[in-house]
Amino acid sequence: MKITKILIANRGEIAIRIMKTARSMKISTVAVKTAAEPNAMYLSYADEIFDNSEDTSEIPVFLDIEKLISIAQRTKADAVHPGYGFLAENPYFAQKCLENKIIFIGPSPDALYKMGNKTIARKLAMKNGIPMAMGSEGNISNEEEAIAIAEKIGYPVIIKAASGGGGRGMRIVRKSEEMEKMFLIASKEAEKAFNDPSVFIEKYIENPKHIEFQILGDTKGNIIHLGERECSIQRKHQKLLEEAPSCALDTDLREEMGRIAVQIARSVNYYSAGTVEFLLDSDRDFYFMEMNTRIQVEHPVTEVITGIDLIEQQIRIANGEILKYKQEDIKLTGWAIECRINAEDVQAGFAPDPGKIENLSLPSDPYIRIDTGIQPGSAIVASFDSMIAKLIVSGKDRKETIKNCKMALDKVWIKGTKTTLPFFRMLVRNQKFQDGNFTTTFIEKDLEKYYLNSEYEEMLAAWLATKLFVRENLEEDSINVDFENGKEMSPWLLNKRINQF
Amino acid sequence: MTSNKLRIDKLYALSSENRKFSFSLPLKNKIRIGKRDYIVQLKADEKYGTYILWKNRKYPVEIVRSRQNKYEILFNDISYTFTVETPFSLQRMKVLNAKKGKAEKELVKAPMPGKIIDVLVREGSNVLRGEPVVILEAMKMQNEIQSPVNGKIISVSVKANTNVMKDDVLVEIKVE
Repeated sequence: MKITKILIANRGEIAIRIMKTARSMKISTVAVKTAAEPNAMYLSYADEIFDNSEDTSEIPVFLDIEKLISIAQRTKADAVHPGYGFLAENPYFAQKCLENKIIFIGPSPDALYKMGNKTIARKLAMKNGIPMAMGSEGNISNEEEAIAIAEKIGYPVIIKAASGGGGRGMRIVRKSEEMEKMFLIASKEAEKAFNDPSVFIEKYIENPKHIEFQILGDTKGNIIHLGERECSIQRKHQKLLEEAPSCALDTDLREEMGRIAVQIARSVNYYSAGTVEFLLDSDRDFYFMEMNTRIQVEHPVTEVITGIDLIEQQIRIANGEILKYKQEDIKLTGWAIECRINAEDVQAGFAPDPGKIENLSLPSDPYIRIDTGIQPGSAIVASFDSMIAKLIVSGKDRKETIKNCKMALDKVWIKGTKTTLPFFRMLVRNQKFQDGNFTTTFIEKDLEKYYLNSEYEEMLAAWLATKLFVRENLEEDSINVDFENGKEMSPWLLNKRINQF
Repeated sequence: MTSNKLRIDKLYALSSENRKFSFSLPLKNKIRIGKRDYIVQLKADEKYGTYILWKNRKYPVEIVRSRQNKYEILFNDISYTFTVETPFSLQRMKVLNAKKGKAEKELVKAPMPGKIIDVLVREGSNVLRGEPVVILEAMKMQNEIQSPVNGKIISVSVKANTNVMKDDVLVEIKVE
């Protein structure tokens, strides 16, 4: 193996995920300690820690190309794994690694550039006869142009960031009066998030399913797919739950979509792991959306049903090895569901709820896999994402997996912030979800309530509030109790007091 | 108001959605459902922190906020807000509410900490329910903060490119 030491240019659960595989392959790892999270859990998985916590620069180190290259050189790492997010899909970073003789564990700079720029990707797909939603030829520069195209292809349309991805910088426009505002919001968001305000327009496919195909390709031109993932459970284009396979596909459709996914990857001579995203409408017509040129958050569900370690494959491919699997070797066995447990307040429209994790208890069972970078005492900081853990549950079929998921969700215990757990507890009990009858608009349109609670739970909470009131006001040593000017107490003190009951 | 402990035989926990739960004093560690009493226990240990034991199941609980007689309780990851009232204060509240009538002003607050990207209204603007008033960026997502009511903007308390805390007032709207 050429690769002997990998610099992990990332944090959190994905840094740990990569280091676990590296260790099993006897490759050593370097993690970067930052000022934002000097005691983070991922640091304890590394063979070597580069301390960058004194760095006071505005940009996080995981976005600082020069700095990362210099860390790789100083720690004598011969490869860099970017994880997801940060620089994972940045062609300039991949190029810089190449120039400095550091192996970038990911695709070529050329593939990153072409697929990263959505308008180029669209043109490429068009040239290859890939089914796509109608839309603008290239970028659009103002709302007048946007309105003209929208009139031609018909409302609703979706404005997307050319350099976008991960669901950011997208806005749906249903009528021309909304265009000016939405165009402005989308391009502002695109500029902030991707340093590029260019946007393009596509026909908005109503009520589609989001189906994506996992791709693996080597540097010798062998490309295969590892089946699909169903990611329709999303809110504001942010995925919340993913599963593999999808109950919307049969063998024929899987074969056809898989073949096209491979064809798209081939158009940029793709190697490493990648994902081709499609929208599937109710007529079972599908449209190419974009290709993600990185390992994805939801990769574990594919690993569970194929038995293939995707990080290991990425490392082997980067090492120049030939893919040892042929398409016919790939067998999908059983079912897997991933719940993204985030520090978000479902009662406040999934608003981020940063804070310190006081208590964390995660279940362990043969059918449960948990990928996390959080431990008791960890802080969910506003500067990074709000993920606490990925709960990955498997079973022999979808029904059994949902049942296992229901049990597993009740065993996850997190204190310190609000989480998306109540959402998943409700979702797995929802009839439409159980029937597989849902699309990307499911959360917005089909759900009356975003969380599970029963009337007894509210009553028990009421009992606790009353108990506190009694403790504070009626059992005090003082004789006179003033209900009007009851004291203000810190929750910290209250939580201490609770233990004295 | 100075109360006499002896006169209070009942307490009411009123939820923010106006559901009323009544409990007799002295408060028992039992709750009656139908014809059966079930034991409720408040416990704490190293592994789980504070929890309620009810029908052989543990539920995580936390007191998020407490101010006067108002409590925000996190129960099984869902938060509930209650005001606990005595029979007297409940009576008084009813009288006061009848006098006060409907709220005339509406404060739009930041639902989460973040940065103001854009302010879409100014003093005197008319807004419709659901119309965005401010764009707030939090955790890399831009969120439209919408007006909860039809009305006229009385004041704007934030500027673009400034940071806000959760619950900071963004704009004040006169309900029309």
